[in-house]
Amino acid sequence: MTDTQEKLLQSLSDCVVDMDEDKATEMAQTYVDNNFNAYKAIDQGLADGMERAGKLYEEEEYYIPELLMCSDAMYAGLDILKPHLDKEESGDKHRVVIGVVEGDTHDIGKNLVKIMLETSGFEVVDLGRDVPPMDFVRKAVEIGAQLIALSTLMTTTMENMERVVEILKEENQDNIKVMVGGGPISPGFAKKIGAHYSKDASKAVQLAKTLVQEAVPC
Amino acid sequence: MLTPEKRLKLALHGETVDRPPCICPGGMMNMIVEELMDLTGSPWPEAHSDPHLMADLAAGIYTHGGFENYGVPFCMTVEAEAMGAPVFMGTKTNEPRVTAYPINSVSQWRELNNIDVTTGRAKVVLDAITLLKDRNSDVPVLANLTGPVSLASSLMEPVMYYKELHKNPRDAHGIMAHVTQNLITFGRAQLDAGATVLTISDPSGTGEILGPKMFRQYAVPYLNQIVDALKASATGGTIIHICGRLKSIYPELNMLTSDAISFDAITDVKQVAENVLGKVLMGNVSTFALENSPPEKIKRLAKNCINNGVKILSPACGIGPRTQLQNIQAMVETAKDCR
Repeated sequence: MTDTQEKLLQSLSDCVVDMDEDKATEMAQTYVDNNFNAYKAIDQGLADGMERAGKLYEEEEYYIPELLMCSDAMYAGLDILKPHLDKEESGDKHRVVIGVVEGDTHDIGKNLVKIMLETSGFEVVDLGRDVPPMDFVRKAVEIGAQLIALSTLMTTTMENMERVVEILKEENQDNIKVMVGGGPISPGFAKKIGAHYSKDASKAVQLAKTLVQEAVPC
Repeated sequence: MLTPEKRLKLALHGETVDRPPCICPGGMMNMIVEELMDLTGSPWPEAHSDPHLMADLAAGIYTHGGFENYGVPFCMTVEAEAMGAPVFMGTKTNEPRVTAYPINSVSQWRELNNIDVTTGRAKVVLDAITLLKDRNSDVPVLANLTGPVSLASSLMEPVMYYKELHKNPRDAHGIMAHVTQNLITFGRAQLDAGATVLTISDPSGTGEILGPKMFRQYAVPYLNQIVDALKASATGGTIIHICGRLKSIYPELNMLTSDAISFDAITDVKQVAENVLGKVLMGNVSTFALENSPPEKIKRLAKNCINNGVKILSPACGIGPRTQLQNIQAMVETAKDCR
């Protein structure tokens, strides 16, 4: 790796942490103009930056507004780099269906989890908010997802999370794992309904990685 | 013996009472359960739009041995709807929710409607308060407002909203000031209609989401503007409910001018008591437990809350509509036994 490439990778990572969308675009363009490997820029530049931002979030330096700004910078860089990826590098990924359960329209948490999962190499299908339980199952089966990620902020809608797990069982699709999170959700609740709990967006990535490893048949 | 109204008023002003009151404000802090809709013949979603059904349902909880207050509305969409957001009225067991946003950016805040309290569901709420006031003057009627951050982020895409707090602080403060003025109007109308206590619940404007710096800039001043404008009319007292973990914003909570703060079950009462001074603490029986545990466990949890320092016993958040009435009664009994 040349000095220039290394510097650009560091700079891409910094742009994400510093929430600098314009500079991320500029740096990604310079990187591409130098004909460096695009995958590396995503992995060691942008994703590294998001990981650092996630750490700052865990350490309570950054909060939701800052994380959202970081992700804008990350996506700005990604837009430039993506067309330059080699085929096999953009190939098979673990698939996740994500959404806010029916009855709720608060989707900040869901959006954060989606961003962190995408950054970590998952292919994420986002059904949005206020999604009926059946829709999660249908979509997951349709695209061969290994994981469904459910979020809610409202106590009143938690039951719809349980419905998703039940429908998976009824349809013999319970090899698809379910992870849940959001304000009122506790580890106890997750366990009770047969799902897996994640406290926040960066923990969700670790959990998703563990769950898809388990899901792969030996 | 103290009436529920008098007891709550004394407790909110930090004075000695015979025992802690047990309330659930309404609004985002939902107190309505399915069982009660059947007992009163006032089901959701109809009760959200009809003052008589709304009043019957709100009164039912006290009549049936539940919380010692009346509170309306049963959702946090009244203000957003009046300011231009379309709302789906939900089902019997799901609350109403905003289905689209009238603006795309904080810079468009001037395009928002002002809340007109003489029409729509704002008027339904006021009429219901008048009906409740006439029903039993011993029971306090609570006015409920959606917090300013939650209202602003119900009028536009929240992701964009949170980013624009950084990118466009001038217009971000513009929309905050605008929704705050509207909330003051609606709050004042509720108090004029007969409510005596004011609760503001701001689930989208928490320390956990915003962090201490943004909470200080965008939540504290606007929450305080509302409290300060309405304090004189809210003779029974003022409550602010903050969701999520409070650890990061203890200094900011000390800046709030409300009489009481109410908080989530994940926050430890003792810690709040040590770090937030001069505020009456209200809370924080887990709503998950309320929905899923037997009455004996609810009594234990409620007892713990009181022993740890809450002066007003209440659920930690809005309760799920499938919660059993007997669990709510267990909470109230715990407060009553606490002499």
